[in-house]
Amino acid sequence: MNNVRPLARRLFPAAFGLAAALVLAGCAPATTAPESGNDAGTPVAGGTLVYASGDAEPSCLDPHVGGNYPQALVSSQYLETLYTKDAEGKLIPWLAEDSTVSQDGLTRTLKIREGIKFTDGTALDAAAVKANFEHLLDPKTASSTGYLALGKIDSMKALDAATLELKLKSPDNSLLESFSMPWVAIESPTALKRSQEENCAAPVGTGPFKVESWKKQDAVNLVRNEDYVQPVATDGHEGAAYLDGITWRFIPEAATRYAALQAGEVQVIDNAQPDTIAAAIKLQTIKHLDAPRPGASNRIELNSSKAPFNDSKVREAFIHAVNVDAGIDSLFFGTAPRSYSPLSSVEPLAYSAEPLFAYDPAKAGELLDSAGWTERDSEGYRTKDGKRLSLVFPVSTSQSIPAEQSLFEQLQATAKESGIEIKINLLDLSSWYGELFKNDYNLVSAPYTKVGPSVLSILFHSDSTIPAPSGYFANLSQVKDPALDQLLDAAGSTADEAERKDKYAQAQKLVLEGHYLLPLYDQQNHFLYSEKLKNVGATTAVATPTFFDTWLAK
Amino acid sequence: MNQPLPAGGRSTRVAGAAARWVLGKIGGGLFVLWAVATAIFFGIRMIPGDPAEAIMGGPGSQASAEALAQARADYGLDAPLYVQYFSQLWRLSTGDLGTSYSLKTPVSEVLGELVPPTLVLAVLALLVAWALALVVAVLSTRSGALGSALASGLEIVSAAVPHFWLASVLIMLFATALGWLPPVSTNAPAGLVLPVATLALPLAGFLGQVMRDTLEAAHRSPFALSARARGESETGVLLRHSLRHAALPGIALSGWAFGSLLSGAVVVESIFARPGLGRSLLSAVTARDIPMVTGVALLSAGAYVVIMAFSDLAERLADPRMAGS
Repeated sequence: MNNVRPLARRLFPAAFGLAAALVLAGCAPATTAPESGNDAGTPVAGGTLVYASGDAEPSCLDPHVGGNYPQALVSSQYLETLYTKDAEGKLIPWLAEDSTVSQDGLTRTLKIREGIKFTDGTALDAAAVKANFEHLLDPKTASSTGYLALGKIDSMKALDAATLELKLKSPDNSLLESFSMPWVAIESPTALKRSQEENCAAPVGTGPFKVESWKKQDAVNLVRNEDYVQPVATDGHEGAAYLDGITWRFIPEAATRYAALQAGEVQVIDNAQPDTIAAAIKLQTIKHLDAPRPGASNRIELNSSKAPFNDSKVREAFIHAVNVDAGIDSLFFGTAPRSYSPLSSVEPLAYSAEPLFAYDPAKAGELLDSAGWTERDSEGYRTKDGKRLSLVFPVSTSQSIPAEQSLFEQLQATAKESGIEIKINLLDLSSWYGELFKNDYNLVSAPYTKVGPSVLSILFHSDSTIPAPSGYFANLSQVKDPALDQLLDAAGSTADEAERKDKYAQAQKLVLEGHYLLPLYDQQNHFLYSEKLKNVGATTAVATPTFFDTWLAK
Repeated sequence: MNQPLPAGGRSTRVAGAAARWVLGKIGGGLFVLWAVATAIFFGIRMIPGDPAEAIMGGPGSQASAEALAQARADYGLDAPLYVQYFSQLWRLSTGDLGTSYSLKTPVSEVLGELVPPTLVLAVLALLVAWALALVVAVLSTRSGALGSALASGLEIVSAAVPHFWLASVLIMLFATALGWLPPVSTNAPAGLVLPVATLALPLAGFLGQVMRDTLEAAHRSPFALSARARGESETGVLLRHSLRHAALPGIALSGWAFGSLLSGAVVVESIFARPGLGRSLLSAVTARDIPMVTGVALLSAGAYVVIMAFSDLAERLADPRMAGS
C-alpha cells in the first residue's frame, strides 16, 4: 500500500475543532513524511494542481466564520496558524515563536514571530493576532468552532509589537493545541476590516498560496504567494511554492471524482471511498494518502439516559452481540484499522481497551438473561415485561459514508442473532439532529474533529448534556458521572503533563468500562492523487493536506 | 380553446380573446408563483431545525446563544410566523428575493450567475433531443416495419433510462475507458458533451415516440396522398406536410420537456460537477437555505409558466386551425 503516514501522532490538549457537518480537517502546515519513492526526481516549478473536493462548497472561505472541515481543507492552502504539528506529530510554534504560562495558569503570553507579512503587505504582529481573536469572539462573525476554541479567553493586551498577553477565565492546557487548528488561523487585520462578504470571498493570510478568485459552484482559484517565507525551516525547500497555483473544485459525486482523477482532469481527490481506494492502489498511476483526523475516533454512542441502555448490563450485552470486525473486514478493504479507544490513533494520549470489545454472543446472552430480557417474541427478539428489546439508531447520510451505513446493517444482522432489534433510520443532517435533540435514539454515531484529548470533555462531561440554545449537545451517550467530570476538569487544567496524561487515561478507562461507547475506527480521511504529483503527504494538525513542497512532474 | 368563432366581428373578437388569453396567462402565472412561494415558506419550516442555525453553518455548528440571536435578528427570524410570511410575500412582490443564508449574497445575484450555465445546458439538450427525435422518426418512417419497430424499441429504452444511470455509463465509457471526453464539466465545449447527452437522450426517446406516431399517421393521411398525386416528391411531402404535423405534439411537449430538463439538471449538474440552478437547488435544500430554495423555485415556476405560454403560442402558429381560438 502506498499509505503516507500523517504526521500528527502527537497532539496536545486543544480546544475545540468540531467539524460538524461536512467533516474533513484542515489547518496549518505540519508535514507528514512522504512515502519513499514518491519524491523521486528533481522538483520542477510550475503547473497548476486541480484538487477535487467531495464536500459541499463552503459558504465562506474564511474559516473563522462557522468553522467546518471543508473550510479547513481549502484555507490550509492560504492561511497559517500560530502553532502546528511537525512531521513527527509534535506541536510546534509556527507563526508564534514561543509561549509561556503563569504559575496559576491564568495568564498566557504569546511571542509572535517577526518579519512575516500577509499577502496584502500588512505585517504580522501582536496587534494583528489580537485583531484575529477579537474577530473570532465577535458574535457578528458567527464563528462556532473557533469561538469555542477561544472560549476561556477573558481579555487580551498587546504588550509590544511581538508580545500578546491573554488573561484566561480558568486554566486551559489545550490552548496551544487550539491555536494549531485552521479555524483559529491568523488573517490580515487590514483584510478583516472589510465587510464579511468581501472577506469571505478572499481571506488574506500568510500561506504559500493566496485566493485569486472564487467562482461559486465552480472553483476557487489559488495562485502562488511569490513572497512566501516559511516561518520555520523544514526538510522541504525554501522560498515560494513549486506550483503556480491550485484550482479547488467541488465534485460531489464520488464516481465522477474518481473518473476525473483517472482521466487526468484533476490530480487530487478527497473523500475517497474504501472500494475506490482498494481499486486505485492496484494502479501504478494513482497513490493514496491516509490521514486520520485528530480528536475522537468514529464510534457508536450508547444513550444511557433511557431504557434499555440505562442498564449497564444491556449496554455491555449490545457491545458483545455485534460483530464489528467482520463488518469492517468485508466493507473497508483494509483501509480502516479497528479502534478500541474514544480518541483517534493520532492522539498521543489515546487509551485503548481491546479486551472489552470482543464479539461474544454467548456472553451477550448471559448478560441479557441476567438483566431480565429472557422472553422471546414471535420474531425471535428478546422481550421483558412484554416489551421488545429494540434500539433506535438514527444515521446521518451526510456523516456516515455508504460503507459505514452498510457496516451498521451488518451490526443489525448480528444483533438480531442475540435477540436485539436495531431500527436504522437513514436521515438527512437536519432531521438527524432533530432526532437527537428529541432524545429519540438509543444508538448514534457522530464524528468530532479537534486537536488534542480535550475533546473528551466535550463528549463525556456532564456539562455537555445541557443543550445549547439550538438544541445541540455533544455528550450523546449522556453519561453523567461526577467522578468522570472531576477527572476531565483536572486533566484539562493541570500544568503537569504527566498528570494530564494520567487523568485523561483514567477518564477514557471509565467511559470504556462503563460501556458507553463502541469504538469503530479512526475518523477516515483518505485522499487519492496522481503519481505525477510528487511530495504529497504534508498535512496540518487537523490532517488537511498542504502543497507547499508538492510539484507536478512534466 | 379550439371552438370556431362566428364569422361576424371577427377581428375585435379575436383581439378580445387574445387579451383575455394574455390576462388569463398572467393571472394563472401569478397564482402559481404565489402558491410556490407559500408552499416553500411553510414546507421548509416543517423540516426540523432552526433556520438561524442554517445561517450559522448548519445544525451542530454549536453556535453560541449570542450568535444565534444575532442571526435571527439580522434575518428577521424572531418575528411571528405570519409576520415573516407576509413580509416575505411583500418583499417577493417587489422583486426582492432576499439574501442567501449560505452564500451570504443576494439571491438575485446568485441566480444571475447560475441561470446562463443551466440555460445553455437545457437549450442544447432540447435542441439535440429534437434533432435526434426528428432524424429517428424520419428514418424509421422511410424504412418500413422493421425500422419502425427498431426505432420504437430504442425510444422506449432511452426514454426509460434514469439520468444518474445514463450519466454513470457515459462517464465509464467515454471518459474512463475511451478517454475521449472529460468526465467533469469544463469550460471547453468538450465538457458539455456528456451532460447534454445525458439530458437529451431520454428526452429524445420520449419526443421521438410521439413524433413518429404522428408522422406515420400524417404520411398515410389523405392530404399526403393528394400531395403525392400533385406530383410532390416523398421528401417534399415529408418536409412540407407531414413534418409539420409531427412537430405539433413535439412543440406541445416542449414546455413540459423544458420543465423536465430543469429537474434533470439537478442530477446532471451534480454528477458532472457543473455550476447551475439544479446543483445549487440541491445544496440549498441540504443547507436549509430558505431564500435560495425560494428563489430557485420561483424562477423555475416562472420560467415554466412563460414557456408554457410560448409553446401554446407556437402551437397556434404551427397549426393555423388553432389561431382564432
